[in-house]
This record gives sequence, C-alpha cells and structure tokens, in this order.
Amino acid sequence: MLTRHFPLVIVLVIVALALSLPWLLSWTYDQIDWDAVRAPAFSGSHIFGTDEIGRDRLARLAAGTQITLMVAIAAALVSLIVGIAWGATAGWIGGRVDEAMMRIVDGLYALPFMFIVILLMVVFGRSILLVFVGIGLVEWLTMARVVRGQVMTLKQRPFILAAEAAGTPPIMIMVRHILPNIAGVALAYLMLTVPQVVMVESFLSFLGLGVQEPLTSLGILVKEGADDMDMTPLGLLLPGGLLVVILVCLTIEGERLRDRFS
Amino acid sequence: MSLYEIGNLAVDIAGTRLVEDVSLTVEPGLCTAIIGASGSGKSLTCLTPFGLTPGIATGSIRLDGIDLAGADADQLRDARRRHTGFIFQQPLTALTPHLTVGAQLQEATMQAGSARPSRSELVQKLERVGLSRPDERLDQFPHRLSGGERQRVMIAAAIAHSPKLLIADEPTSALDASLRAEIMDLLDQLRVEQGLGMLLVSHDLASIEGHADQLLVMDKGRVVETGPTADVIANPAEDYTRRLISATPRLDEPSPKLAGPGDELLETRDLGVEFNRPGWRRGIILAVANAAIMIRQGESLALVGGSGSGKSTLGRAIAGIGPVTRGKILWRGGALPERRQRTLEMRRLIQPVFQDPVASLDPQWQVLDIVTEPLRNLRPDLTRTEREDLARQALSDVDLAKDFLTRMPASLSGGQAQRVAIARAIIAAPQLLVLDEATSALDPLVGAEILKLLHRLQEENGLSLLFITHDIAAARRLCHRIAVMDDGRIVETGDLQEVIDNPRHAATQRLVAAS
Repeated sequence: MLTRHFPLVIVLVIVALALSLPWLLSWTYDQIDWDAVRAPAFSGSHIFGTDEIGRDRLARLAAGTQITLMVAIAAALVSLIVGIAWGATAGWIGGRVDEAMMRIVDGLYALPFMFIVILLMVVFGRSILLVFVGIGLVEWLTMARVVRGQVMTLKQRPFILAAEAAGTPPIMIMVRHILPNIAGVALAYLMLTVPQVVMVESFLSFLGLGVQEPLTSLGILVKEGADDMDMTPLGLLLPGGLLVVILVCLTIEGERLRDRFS
Repeated sequence: MSLYEIGNLAVDIAGTRLVEDVSLTVEPGLCTAIIGASGSGKSLTCLTPFGLTPGIATGSIRLDGIDLAGADADQLRDARRRHTGFIFQQPLTALTPHLTVGAQLQEATMQAGSARPSRSELVQKLERVGLSRPDERLDQFPHRLSGGERQRVMIAAAIAHSPKLLIADEPTSALDASLRAEIMDLLDQLRVEQGLGMLLVSHDLASIEGHADQLLVMDKGRVVETGPTADVIANPAEDYTRRLISATPRLDEPSPKLAGPGDELLETRDLGVEFNRPGWRRGIILAVANAAIMIRQGESLALVGGSGSGKSTLGRAIAGIGPVTRGKILWRGGALPERRQRTLEMRRLIQPVFQDPVASLDPQWQVLDIVTEPLRNLRPDLTRTEREDLARQALSDVDLAKDFLTRMPASLSGGQAQRVAIARAIIAAPQLLVLDEATSALDPLVGAEILKLLHRLQEENGLSLLFITHDIAAARRLCHRIAVMDDGRIVETGDLQEVIDNPRHAATQRLVAAS
C-alpha cells in the first residue's frame, strides 16, 4: 500500500494536515498579526511567515486547501450523481430518448464554459454556490457519456435478459445488476474528475471569480502570491507547489483505477 | 522429408510448462489436425514455434529444412513472411477494419517480396476462394462482409504469397454449421491444388472429420493419441479419445430414447417481430415473420437455422424477454398477454438459458443470489430459508456440490457456469425452457454432459424444451421435432428424424449436409 499507492498516501497526508493544522496553529486564516507584516519564514510563531497584510501563511494554506478540496469533492460528487442518473437513463431507455438526451449533452459541451461562468458571476455576484453550479454544469457531461456507454454494453449481456425473465422489475435490474457493474468505472472517472475540478476552481479563483475574501482557496493564494512575487516568492511557491502535487497525485491514482476497470 | 516437423516440443509461459512432449509432422498437400478441449495447449503448440504467443518453445522444429528452434526474431519473421500463412478464429478482428479488402490482399501478396499485384491478379485471388462479385469486394471494407465472406478473405490473404504451410487456428468455430462445411471444403480444395501442408486446430471433431489426414488428440498439454484420422476415429485406443468421439453428436448414431410428449403446451400463431432501424432513419427490419410453432408437454422442439435467421429473436419473444410486434402466443389454448402484463405465475412458466454461460451470470453476485433471483421475484411467498433449500435442491439437480452456493461466477468453468444458469432457470419450476444455443459455446465433452443433463431434467420433471441451435446433430440427441428457420421464416417443420432423412427446403438440406 505505502509503495504501490504512494501518490494516494501523499494526498491523504495533505488532507490530514489541511484538516488538523487550523486546530493546532495559534493563528487563524483571517487573523492579522499587526506586528509581523510580510514576516519571513520561521519568524516567531509563523512557520512560513505572513503575507502582505500580516496573515499567517501556513494557516491560509491549510484553509485554502480545505476549500479547494471541498469544492472539488462536492462538485465531483454532484457530477457523479447527475452524470450517472442522466447517462444511465439515456442508455437504459435507448432509442429516441437516448438520442435526445445525448444531443443535450453535446449542446452543453459546445457552450463556452468560462463565458457562462463569468456571466453568472456578473449577474448574481460572487458566491461559493455559483462556483459549484458553474463547475457542476460541465463536469457531469463526461461522466454521463461514460456511464451511458457502459449501460448500453451491459444491457446486451445475457444476465440482464435472465434477470428480466426472472421477473426482476426494471428499476431493480438497474439498481442491483447495472449500477454495481458500472461502479468501478464510475469510481475511476470520479477520481479523475476531482483533479479536473481542482484545476477549474483554482483557475476561476485566480481570475478573481472564485470564493470571496476572506475565505481562500489555492487559486486565490496563487494569485496573491503572484501579485507579490518579487517581494516574497514563498507566497507563490507554496500554494503553487501544493497544487501541482495534489493534481499529479490524484491524476496518477485516477488513471491507475481507470486502467484497472476498462 | 516432411514439410514441417516438430519433435518433443515443450512450451513454457512464465516458468510454467503448458505443453510437453508434442511431436507431429505435416506433409505437403496433406492436413494434420490437433484436437482438444480449451486449455489443452493446442493453439500454443501451433503458434509458439513462430513466435506468435508469449510462450517459449523448446524442442526440434523444422520448417522445409529451416531450423526454427534456434532461430532469432528476424529469422522467425522471415519464416512467417515467406513460408507460412495463418488463419485465425475471429474473421472480423483478424482483418484490419480501416483497410479495404483489396489493400489487405495486396499487402499479403507483397509480404514475401513479390511485385505489386495488378487488380486482375487480386480479383483472381478472391475468385479462387469462391467469393462472389470479387471485383466489387476489392473496394469494400471488412464490416461490409458477412462472417463467411470475411473468413474467405482471410484465407485468400493467408495463401496470397503462396506459402508452403498453412496454419489454421479454429478457422470455422465462429461460423454456423453450413458455412463451416463450405469453408472446410474450400480449404481441402486449395490444399490439393497448391500442395499446401496444413496444420489445423479445432475443438470440434465433427468439423475435421473427413478433412484431416493425421490426427493428434491433446489433453492438458500432452498428446493423448495420434494416428491417421480415420483409424483414430474408428478404433480409438485411449479412453479420452473414446469419450471425445462419443461426446460429438453425429447424424448416424443410434436414435436416443425420448419420452412420449403429452398435451399441447405452447403455440405461436403468425408471430412477427419487427425492429425500427437504429437512429433517426425511418424503416423497419423484419426479424421474424408469421412464425407458427407448437410444443407439447414434455416435448423438445429443435429450432434450427443459420446465424441471422431470426431463431434467437423468436425464442426471446416466446420467453417474454424480447418484443412481439404481431401475432399471438397461446399457452394451453389461452392467450399469453404482452410481456409486461404477464402475471408472476405466467412469467414463471417459461425460463431462458443462453449461449455464453459466463456472460449470463452477473459477475458481482454469488451463485446463491444468482440461483434464487427468480424466486425472490416470482415466489414472494417463500421465506429466506425456503429459498436457500430450493437453491440447494436446484444445484444438486444440475450435479453441482453445495459449496458452489458461495462461489463467484469468475471462479467457475464454462460448464459449471452453464449448470448454474440452468439451475437458475429451473428453480422456480417452469414448464418450458428456452435454450438459446445453450451448448454451442462449450467444449464437446462439456456440451455433451449438458445435453445429458437436459435430457434427464426433461424425463424427471416433464419439462418442455425449445432447443435453439445451428447444429442438427446435437439437436437429434434431445429433440422430438424440428422447426427450421431461414431469413425470419419457418420453412420446414416435422418429426426430427423424418426431416433429417428427407429434407425438403434448401436451407434444411444445407444444414443436414453440413452435420
């Protein structure tokens, strides 16, 4: 486990730190230390120093990671549920219904996603809910396509026909035969969706369209770090590096899972 | 000197010895056949000497005076390229989907270094394998051809560069019975015309009888028996060979004793099944038209036809797991309603068994849940313990031990999986089983056991069977009457033996001749 799933272990350690550090540190992510603005690393109680208005960098890093991963997991779960429901329905019913449902998916794919999100932000103002909606709008599409394909191949298998002959009602065939058999593939794509969402959320935050201050996310931290890069490069390197590590590790694990199930 | 000679061949994969001590020879113009169940090492024996499997071959291997045993990768490739042609089981996957027939044939011709063939030469090559409209075929892609046509193209490509040795690994297993005979005749003819030596691999004794000169019977990686084919079949020396021969259904074996049927059970009147063409296009496909069949209590009806004749569609319509567009299904004289409106009792009466035993079991379920699935839905009055008792009973009915209840499908062999599928079908005490090619995907020994099991179940429980197959000889072991389907229509019905003795319709004649 430790050697084979090294990337997963790294992610778990990061998650554990992000969850526990706010309890252990003496500073919160939005607390300003007036005595130590732009403090260098290892000065006093600030392990990684403070940012340009005196907030503890480690505390902000932990809070940002929390928000980013929370958004990512929530959005990935939403995409999983919507994607499975949509894809499984289309694949199971088939025929014209399937054609119509999948053309809607194609249509949504064609929308310029960033443009829609920016419009939403402008009209409704910035909120973490809108980030969910915006990300959820696109991420379920791939899942729906994958699930539909799986359901269509499973539907042809004789054990589904046998279940039908055994009097199993269609809804139970879905729940007991089809869903368990697509769970592996769906899980693999879920693992691949999480890093994708992390990426999108950070990108939105970097553009200033993500979560609102004083809440923070890795994207916001990268942006703040980039603005102040010439003074304190640590402010960019820390969240940037963390983002890269999380993305790489999750992608490796996800692809490994996908290879196992397909 | 023989064309191809193997002595004391052993094949190892990852340190495990899978084939041991195999010796065989192939003479020019003659055919040597290897026969055995799946996993007996027959394909490994054929393909490993040419470097086409992950295995390592040791022993003496000589092809036309060239020593292949000590050859490096380049020399092996050379031997494959110049002197050998290969035919594989799956004609669709063995042809490259994005290249036209002509392009593939051209590549095959040029592989041994000959000049680019002209179009008329390519047409000739297709004519030689008996493909109709060869000029048109050259520009077609593999998916436009039927299974039999693809196999002919494969053969044309395998002999395009005039090899000396042809290796055919189950060339007819994916084809139905009448195509099987045609392809084997074609191979015979080409062999004689061109003085080709042929090494043929098969699991089916019926398909090589009369075609192979020498026969090797293999079991568990070893040669059980070898000799001239006619001698081995007439006087088998080993027990395994005897069992294999008696397991293979033949038309001239003595008729089986079948119990006399009772009252009329099921009848279809003018049954029709139509499908919409897929996608947005208009139009319908007529899969079954005006089908009228009748089955009595305790009787087995063979529903026989080539692939694509609509026999499976008709079977599914009767079992209530496929659509019915017109016509009626009568059960003991009363109409069976549409499939969604059948009561639990009606659904219980007819149960299906499918061709691919592994795919008919949900890989995520254990055997107990699989076998009791019909009870949970169709007999809601039973308690959990009653269900489990019935499951144990059903398993013992199909000769499986009790500890199979906790097994997962992945750990079952093909024959065991088919027994589990039959146990699931009989557990709710149905009166009619629809067996859709239930023995076709199994090895002959296993298939014969399943036939015996079905025969016993029929005698004990008075079950009626609808036995869908393309193999008349197998049907003869089990069935009273026959209905022959061709192109969606029932073209001939009658007593099985009478139809075999005196087939009237062309499709029936083809099927009988092929068996």
